[in-house]
Formats: sequence, C-alpha cells, structure tokens
Amino acid sequence: MSPPSGEPAAPSLIRLVDRSGPLTNELLLEPARFGLGMTPAGLQADAVTGSVCGFCSTGCNLNIHLRDSIAVGVTPAANHPVNLGMACPKGWEALSVLDAPDRATTPLLRGASGRLEPVGWDVALRSLVNRLKEIQSRHGPHSVAFLSTGQIVTEEMALLGALAKFGMGMLHGDGNTRQCMATAVVAYKQAFGFDAPPYTYGDFEESDVIVLVGSNLAIAHPILWQRVMLNRRRPEIIVLDPRATETSMAATQHLPLYPKSDLVLFYGIARLLIEREWIDREYIEAHTTGFEEFTAFVKPYTLPEVAMATRLSVEAIERCAATISQGQRVSFWWTMGVNQSHQAVRTAQALINLALMTGNMGRPGTGANSITGQCNAMGSRLFSNTTNLLGGHDFANPDDRRKVANVLGIDEARIPREASWPYHRILEGILRGEIHALWVVATNPAHSWINQGQAHDILGRLDFLVVQDMYHTTETAQRAHLVLPAAGWGEKEGTFINSERRIGLTRKVRKAPGEALADFHIFRLIADYWGCGEMFRQWDSPASVFQLLKRLSAGQPCDMTGIKDFGSLAERGGVQWPFPAGGHDHRQERRLFEDGQFFHEDRRARFIVEAPRPMPEQPNEKYPFLLLTGRGSAAQWHTQTRTAKSAILRKLYPSDLYVEINSQDAGRLAVRTGDILRIASQRGELRARALVTPTVQPGQVFLPMHYEATNVLTDAVFDPYSHQPAYKACAVTVETAR
Amino acid sequence: MARDMIQLPVVNDPTARCGTARSCGSATIPSLQATGPALIAALLASQQSLSAVDEFERWHHATAVASLPARVDSPRYRALLPAKPLEAGQQYAFEVDLDRCSGCKACVTACHTLNGLDEQETWRDVGLLIGGSRTAPVIQHVTAACHHCLEPACMIACPVNAYEKHPITGIVRHLDDQCFGCQYCTLACPYDVPKYHAGKGIVRKCDMCSQRLAVGEPPACVQACPHEAIAIRVVNRDQIVEDAEAAVFLPAAPDPQHTYPATTYKTARSFPRNLLPADYFRVNPQHAHWPLVVMLVLTQMSVGAFVAGLTYVRLLETQAVPGLQALHAVNSLAFGLLALSASVFHLGRPQYAFRAVLGLRHSWLSREIVAFGLFASLAIVYAGALLATNLWLYDEASLLRAVLRVCASPWIGWTVATSGVVSIFCSVMIYVFTRRECWSFTRTVIRFALTLALLGLTAAWLSVLVATLVQPSTELLFIVRERGPVLCRTLMALAAMKLAWEAAIFRHLLFARMTSLRRSALLQIGELSNIALARYALGLLGGLVMPSLLLNALPALSSATLIPFAAMSGLLLVANLAGELMERNLFFAACASPRMPGGIR
Repeated sequence: MSPPSGEPAAPSLIRLVDRSGPLTNELLLEPARFGLGMTPAGLQADAVTGSVCGFCSTGCNLNIHLRDSIAVGVTPAANHPVNLGMACPKGWEALSVLDAPDRATTPLLRGASGRLEPVGWDVALRSLVNRLKEIQSRHGPHSVAFLSTGQIVTEEMALLGALAKFGMGMLHGDGNTRQCMATAVVAYKQAFGFDAPPYTYGDFEESDVIVLVGSNLAIAHPILWQRVMLNRRRPEIIVLDPRATETSMAATQHLPLYPKSDLVLFYGIARLLIEREWIDREYIEAHTTGFEEFTAFVKPYTLPEVAMATRLSVEAIERCAATISQGQRVSFWWTMGVNQSHQAVRTAQALINLALMTGNMGRPGTGANSITGQCNAMGSRLFSNTTNLLGGHDFANPDDRRKVANVLGIDEARIPREASWPYHRILEGILRGEIHALWVVATNPAHSWINQGQAHDILGRLDFLVVQDMYHTTETAQRAHLVLPAAGWGEKEGTFINSERRIGLTRKVRKAPGEALADFHIFRLIADYWGCGEMFRQWDSPASVFQLLKRLSAGQPCDMTGIKDFGSLAERGGVQWPFPAGGHDHRQERRLFEDGQFFHEDRRARFIVEAPRPMPEQPNEKYPFLLLTGRGSAAQWHTQTRTAKSAILRKLYPSDLYVEINSQDAGRLAVRTGDILRIASQRGELRARALVTPTVQPGQVFLPMHYEATNVLTDAVFDPYSHQPAYKACAVTVETAR
Repeated sequence: MARDMIQLPVVNDPTARCGTARSCGSATIPSLQATGPALIAALLASQQSLSAVDEFERWHHATAVASLPARVDSPRYRALLPAKPLEAGQQYAFEVDLDRCSGCKACVTACHTLNGLDEQETWRDVGLLIGGSRTAPVIQHVTAACHHCLEPACMIACPVNAYEKHPITGIVRHLDDQCFGCQYCTLACPYDVPKYHAGKGIVRKCDMCSQRLAVGEPPACVQACPHEAIAIRVVNRDQIVEDAEAAVFLPAAPDPQHTYPATTYKTARSFPRNLLPADYFRVNPQHAHWPLVVMLVLTQMSVGAFVAGLTYVRLLETQAVPGLQALHAVNSLAFGLLALSASVFHLGRPQYAFRAVLGLRHSWLSREIVAFGLFASLAIVYAGALLATNLWLYDEASLLRAVLRVCASPWIGWTVATSGVVSIFCSVMIYVFTRRECWSFTRTVIRFALTLALLGLTAAWLSVLVATLVQPSTELLFIVRERGPVLCRTLMALAAMKLAWEAAIFRHLLFARMTSLRRSALLQIGELSNIALARYALGLLGGLVMPSLLLNALPALSSATLIPFAAMSGLLLVANLAGELMERNLFFAACASPRMPGGIR
C-alpha cells in the first residue's frame, strides 16, 4: 500500500513496462494544507475560504480552494455546524456550472429584427429606464412590477426591493419564494406572530419521533437527512407521503395517504390525542390560545371518517397518533407536499397545532418545522421588501414605515402603505392590463410557473420584459425584451439565511464572464440611470448594506444587531437570528420559544383551523389519473438553469422526462418501463418515459418538476392565504404514445 | 460527533460600521461614486477584481488555518476504516450499507473532484433497484465502484499487464502508463468498471484511493457519504468465494462467481423477489468498435481465403492456370494485413502495441495478437514464395529456388492456414472469456467459422475473377464455367446457414423474459434496426441472390460476357463483405453486456 514508486518517469517508446510516468502522475495526490487531506493537483490551493452554498436552503458551508485568489475547486467544509463536512452533488459541482458556454456575458436587447442583440451596458440601461418610465407615465407608476428570487444574497434583494419601491415608484413585486415558502410564512405569522421557523438542525438528532410530511428529505435535502441518520436515539420516523420515497424507505411508519387528505388526517389525529388525553394541558394553558374552539372543531373528525378520507387503515392512524403521544421529543417537519397545496396554510397550521397540543415546542428535538427551499428564501422573507416591509416590518404600519425611513435616510412618503400583490396577482394584472412591464431577477417563470401555457400567454402580453439572469438561455430570458447579464453565486458576496435562520456568508471567488455584473452592481446602475442614485448612496457594497439590514432588524424577532460584520459571520460559521446586541446566548445552535413566549401581543401561540375543502380538480372520467409533481433527484435544482450545466450532474439524473406509474396501471396500459406515455390534462399534454413502480399508488402518476414540460399540465390553483401555487395535484389522462 | 466550532469572542457592537476593509470584506473603490458610463466602467472593473478575497484570505490564513479542523481527521471516519491490519488470506474491500444509501450520489461527485478526474469522468455509479408490492414497495439505490475482485477479469484479460492486484491489500490498481488502450478490460469486466478515456488513449479506474489509504485517510467516496453508507473493511478471501457460491452478492448484479467481487452489500431488510434495476427494460446499443469489426471480419476472410485456396487447388485444377495460386495467396495475405492494420486503430496508444506479448500467460488478447503475428509472418513467407516461384525463370536451379519451392509448398500453406485458425480460435476466446451470453463459445465459434468459410470462398471467387479479367484464357473460362456452380452452391448453402443462424436470435422475442439474448433481438428490431436490415439485405444479396444469378449466367460465360460477369461477381464480393461487416457491428453493438443495476434512463 505505497503510493506509486518514484522510479524515473521517462516515457520511452521502447519500454516494455512503465509502472509510472506522466499519465500516472496526472492522478497523483499530494498532502494539502488547510486540513484538506490528500488532494489532486487541480485542487491544490494557496488559500482556502469558506462560502455558503447557493443552491438549497440547507446552507452548507463549502471550502473554496483558491489559487491566486481564484477558485479552483470546492470541498465541503469540515465540522461546520450545518453540513458537518458533507455536501450533496450540487454543492460539489457548484463551481463547474459557472463555466457554461451560455452564460450571459453582455446585455441583450431585442432589436428591430426581433432577435436579442448584444448591446453595451449604457444602451441597455438607457433602454430600460426609458421604456419603464414611458410605461409608467402612460399607465401609472404601478404598471411596472418585479419578480425577485430566493437565489440572490440578502443585500441584493433588499436593494432591489428598496430601489423598485422607494426609488422607481413600483408597488408590486414578489419573489419565486412565493412558489416555495409563502405558506410557511403565513402559517407561522398567524400562529406564532412572526415568520419564525423555531428549530435548529440539531433537532433532527435530538428527536425520538420525527414526523415528515410531504417531504422527501433524503433527496430534497440530503445533508439534513444526514442528521436523521446520525440520530442515535433510534427514532420513530413517520413519513406522510402518497408516494413511497427514499425517505419513506427509511421510515418506521409510512402513511401513503390519499393526496391532499392531510388536513383531515391531522384533525383526526388531534381529535384522537384529545380524546385519549394524550396532550400536554399544562403547556396548552400556559402558552396557547384557542384550544377550546379547536377541541370543538375537531370533534367530527372521527377515526372511521378520517380513515375513509385518507384511505389509510384505522390501525395505521391510531399507531401514528400513539407514537406521537408516546414520544418525549416529537418534531414535525414539512416541505412542499404541504406548502404547495390548495389549503396549504391550514395544513401547516394543523401540524403546528399538533406540536402545540403535545407540548412539543421549544425543547430539543421538537417543533413544527418548515424546511425551506432556496438558499436565501429566508432572506427574501425578511428583506425582499415585497410582502413585508424591509426587516419583517409591515407596510401598513406607520411606525414601521417611519423606522425604515429613518434607518435608510429617505422620505417616509416614498414607502408604500400597502404590501405588494402576490406573484399570481401580478400575472393576473398583466392579463387585466394593469401591469405592462415586468422585471424578472434570477428566476424562470416560463418554466416554473403553474399552468405553463397560460404563463407563456401572459408573459407574451407584456410591453416590456426585462430578465436579469446568469444564463441567456433560460425559457424566460428567451422571451425577454432586454436581458441583463448577472454574475452568479461565487462571483459576488453577501449573506444567505438558511432554513434554521442562520445568516451565513457567501464569497466572491471567481471573475464573472464578459460584462456580467453582480445583481448588486446592476441595481446600483439602474438607480443611477433612473436618477435616484443619491437615495442609495450608503448602499455602496453588500457589506455596508448588511449594516443597514442589521439596523432595520433591531427590535424585531429577527434582530441581528449583535453580529458585527461579514468577518464575524465567517468566524462563527454563520449566526442564527435572533442575535441582538448585548445578548448573552452565543450558542452555535439555538432554537426559538424555549421560554414558551411567542411573538403575538399576548405571547401565546394560536390554534388555527378551517374546514377542509375538496381537491379542486379531482380525477374524473376524462382525466382519471391524479398527477403528483416534485423533486426528481439530488443532482437537479429547480428549472435546471444551473445544474444542467455540469457534465457530472447530467450523468446523475435521467436526461428525458419520465413518469412514475403504478405497476397495476402500467399492466392495464400494457406499458413497460421505458415506453413512451402521453399524459394530458385540460391544459396541455406531454410525452414522458414510463417508470413502472409500486412506489406510486394506482390511479396516480408522478412527474419530476425539473423538466420544462411538467408545468404544461399543472392547474393554477392557489392557497387563499399564502397564494402559493398548488403544484401537487391535478387530473390527467395517461395513454401509450403512438 | 466532533462539531465544536472554533468559539471566537464575538463583539457585540451594533453601531460598528465597516471600519476596515479587512473585517468588512469589500473595499469601497472611490470611483464607485461616479455616475453614468463612468460608474459602469468602475463596476465592471470592480466585478473583475478579487481583491476582496485577498483581504479575506489574509484573515483566514492568520486566524483560521491553524485551528481549522481537518476534513479527513474527523473521528466520524474512524469507524469507516479498518481497525486491524490485514492478515494472510484477507484483503480490503468496500462495504456498502444499503440501508443507509439514500441515492444522493455525493459519492460520485466527490470521487470525481477529489481524484482530479476529467470533466466528464466518473469512477463510481449509483443504480436503482425497484420492486415489491403496492403495500410494501421497495426502492433501493446502490452505489458501486470497482469491486477489487479476487479474480479480476480486467487483470486477466489485460494483454500488457497494466493491472496489478496488490498482494497484501488486494486492491486492483491500473497502471496508466502501462496501458495501451485496447479497452479489452472494458469488455471483460462484468461491472463496467474500467472507463476508457479517449483523450488520453487509456483506461482509468478506481484504486480505492490507495494514496489516501496509505496515509490513513478514507477514500473520497467514504469521506463524502453524508450517511456513512460506504466503508473500507477487511474481508476474508475464503468468505468471498463461499458467498459467491451462494450468489448473495447483490440482487440483479452479474454472477459473482465469474470474478469474485470483494465488495459487501449489507442490509437488514429482506428484498422482494421482483427487485429489478430501474434500467432493466431499457436496451442500449453498446460501442460498435469499428476497428475490431474490420479486423475480425478481414482476418477471418484472410484465413478463410488461405484455406479455400488450398482446398480448391484440386477442385479448380488451378495448377493448370499459372499464377492463380500465387495471386490468390497474395489476395488472402492482403486481407490479413489490412485486418491487422485496422486493429491498430483500436488501440488508444498504438505505439505500445509491442507490449501485447506481456500477457501471453493469461490474456487471450495477447495470444490472439501473437498468433496473428505468427500467421501474418508465415503468410508473407508463403505468399511471397508462391509469387517468387511464379515469376522465377524456370531453367535456373539454385538453393534459393529450392528454399522458395519448400516455402511455397502446400505443407507451408496448411501451416499458414492452421496458424490462422488457431488465431481465430484466440479471437473466439477473447469474447468467450467475457461470459456474455451472446458471446458464448458455441455462438461465437459458429459465427466466426461461417464467416471464415463464406468470405474465404468469396475471396477465392475474387481471385478467379481477377485472374480472368487479367487474362481471359479459354482454359480459365472453361474452369470457371465448369467449377463455378459448385462454388456458387456452396456459397449459397453457407450464406443460408449463416443468415438462418443469426436470425435465430429473433426467436427470443417470443419469450416474455428479458434475457440478454432478448435484449440483443430487441436492439436489432429497435435502435439498431437499420444496421440489422442492411445486414440481412446484404447477406441475401451477396449470399443468395448474386450466386443464383451467377449460376444462371455461368453456362454462357465467354470473353464477350466477361464484363457483366465481373460486375455480378464484384457485387457479390462487396455485398458479402459489407454484410459481414454489418453482422460484426451487431456482434458488438447488439450484445447486451452484464452490468451493475443502473438508474432511471
């Protein structure tokens, strides 16, 4: 077991045996500094820095290997409290997606020819300002809107929100976080008084019962799944998901409930817990309000009724309830299966109710915990200045407006008195002729928005569509009148806030290609060309904006005034909010509500309920199948604008769209894995390769969301409170393609 | 779990503004206060500057490096590496805990990154098994790299000894500089482990990160698995053999008795019997290996031509036609030499072709190369001697002349033919060694033998044709008219047999079970149907249609009808040769290879 011997590597044409030589040397490893272990030549670094990954909300810390200040490689950071030295394939390949040939390297303006033509920044900015001002003068200032993202740093989203609303006079702007986290936001706000996911990742390891709802954690958040696997308490893992998944394989109980029957199930479990007195009356009385009404409300949800609605056995439901009641530390976790549904907020709150009534809150291994989607969804929730005024404030509250105006040194009158329209209302506004121009930043609605045919129709009606993105090839950029080339993750700096409220630093370690600029720079330029540059004088770098954001957070539940600056974030491996100045709790992992004090005026959490409504589009004679959508593999991210750029990631997922179909249905259609199926809904049709599997129930099919075609089928239904699209269920027909 | 972060004092100073560039991360460039195009220029410049990183790094160097916990020192890894040194009869092996493998595939990317592989290159794969029932469905991801087998097929197959199995650790290592890129190991390994790197002209593969193990670090995949599903364990070689007897390696994986893979797949569950790979019903064409296609077909043609030449000396009374025998020998040799030059194109690094002698003791490819070398040398002597004796002045007797006469004797001719047949036997064994069903001994022997006979005869026909065209003597025309029908009928019989034999693969379409032969058949009516169609059309044309037309035309053969006769014969030759090339293409491309369970495709 010795490394290749050091015999001279003189390549010679007549040598019969070459045990080593130039080809062998290509793969020689050398001990590296910085605790990196044996490292190939390509990864050898003269310095290493840490940076938070820019894909999902887990917020893994990556070691960036630098040579002459330029990133040459990525490895997961050892012993970081978030990822414990691990990364998923996306993180490992984070740098390689930056080198794609279709990076936008210069602004592109749709010229007289109808094609996108390269132009300089000056021309691009003048066109943008002229067109938007012209549209505003014709249709009013609110006729221009923006769509932001959970993929840019907090400092950028804050600047975008402030610039658009306070500088450019827009009223409406929303983010693609509407598609993933809006439900959790509303559910928490109503129940706790603030959008506050209470947990820390360590809770996965501390639980003795882990309830996962609508979450394929093993695939969607592999690094969080690590924590479940590290749990040494032999936890009961209960998975509620209509599909059998990688996660349910590892579960001790999998409840394959009928899609969208989750709300009924949770009310039924609540009734059972109350009936059998499996609840924590002391906690309920001390820290909650509305329990009596809640008890009365859940009365009709008897076991037989619930079993019928969910198509689960009475025994399975009873066992689940018993397990929850017996657990000393029960944690409830949910992801998109809950968030993306027609009664999403109430379903999330039904989970919060279960946690509250069993006293599973504020202790290690407990909580009603929403797992976020995008790397900076939490940053967007607090600082995007769309639904909330900067820093989790309220546009309608004069005190909040005054505070923000003071911190930013702007005229209070420039702050709108109402929140933005949600995403779907902005799109509806385009249809109604209320919105005429749209500025889309780092998101891809032409692929990701629900009922894609309609979304294309809507985007096609715009007088002016500006797309600001890393790649000029996204489905949305292809439709744009103006494309602004943006620097991506790794080419700029700032902070992300992850699922467990951890503010972490992401670093600039690569030069952006061509004339691509950090979104931060683009916003500054637009401010300057718009003529409101003066208003943003103190927003001169992400680091100084971070100081502004700190001051905006002062006194809020998300107070982060105790963080000194970017440097201290790096030193501490990120800091969870709250972290107020003068605070004494400097633990690396902290959870909320340890004292049972919530953010409502009365410091009590609310039980919130509402009668379940049937699924809007149920399978019927013409469309007899129920279509589920969701994440495909750990190597794919959302609309794949980035992950499809890595040759390695491309090897890790199927290149063609596939559809999971139950063996029973496949048998009836005489279909085998690999055959092409035609799937149609009322809204459109697509072709996909069959994957015959018992993991989906008969009468249901599953499509991964990463392929462009999927949303051709989905039905534009929204939760009435969070306005989040219900991607997870619609009626389709399935037949063999001819 | 060691995860105690470096606890540094935190200064709680809410009013602190970004005091220094060092702590703040990004220095404010004065010109950024500009406006309009000047601001654009300043921001573009700032975008290209990485000075902020420098600032950070100085900090990082100074404060963090010393206390930065090493990636590879995590106590977590200790349990994933062997605790005790190896004893005799033991070796290292991967152990995969299937109950912990969630299919995240971080191992694949980590192996790629930490081993410095090329952009597209991966040494580890993750497959997926699906099965069970509606009430108890099962999906099981399976991570796999090299199994560091007890009897590595790659190593046994390698003609240049570019593989070695470490006597103590058992790790099967590939010597990249020794490899000459024949890719035989990629056919021989039932697990699709060695990966050919066309750019470098060599194969590369997993070596269990020997260089890391040597310094006590876990291999890349072991380091990177968030779920601790991969470990390095000490295994008893006897145990592997015993386990292989019971075939408990992994459901749907190739038979472990072939190579005795050392990897252990463990699970606490019992798998359902219907567990199948996600790509089980997908049939994908394999690499066609064109140089090998040409080489195989033409070597068989060459050897066949020598055999045919020796046989029809009597049949055709070729002695009566001066020079025909020599012409035919030269023709036969030409095909052989063409074949051997084609084979060189298959090597990633042909300059090292001479190394092929090294593996003579174990590699059928070595043996084939040496045998064909011998065959070619003998054939050159034989054909050269025949040619020389034909051109030689008759009245001059000399020692050289005597030697030439011996060299041109049928005895030497049969030696050439025998060495050719032996070489082709080596060719057969190359494929038989891989244990693919479609390359079984019977199937390969019948296929190669019929090609030998069919193309040998075709080549003989070519020689007669050339001779006739060069010198359309009445004697020759008479012989062709009289003896031609026998040749044609033999050709037709051989062609019919061969086509029927090949088409017999389609009977597997009638069986429901997805056997590897059914996959071959499916490929031939599916993705490779164009090639299959061409193969059968050409086979019918050259083997049945043209010979029967010739049969009709032969009685009327005269110097006047020579041109249409030549055209028909030419077509016969081209169709048969092209048909066999297509057949051999399918031999490679439509041969389902054993493999580890694959993912959704």
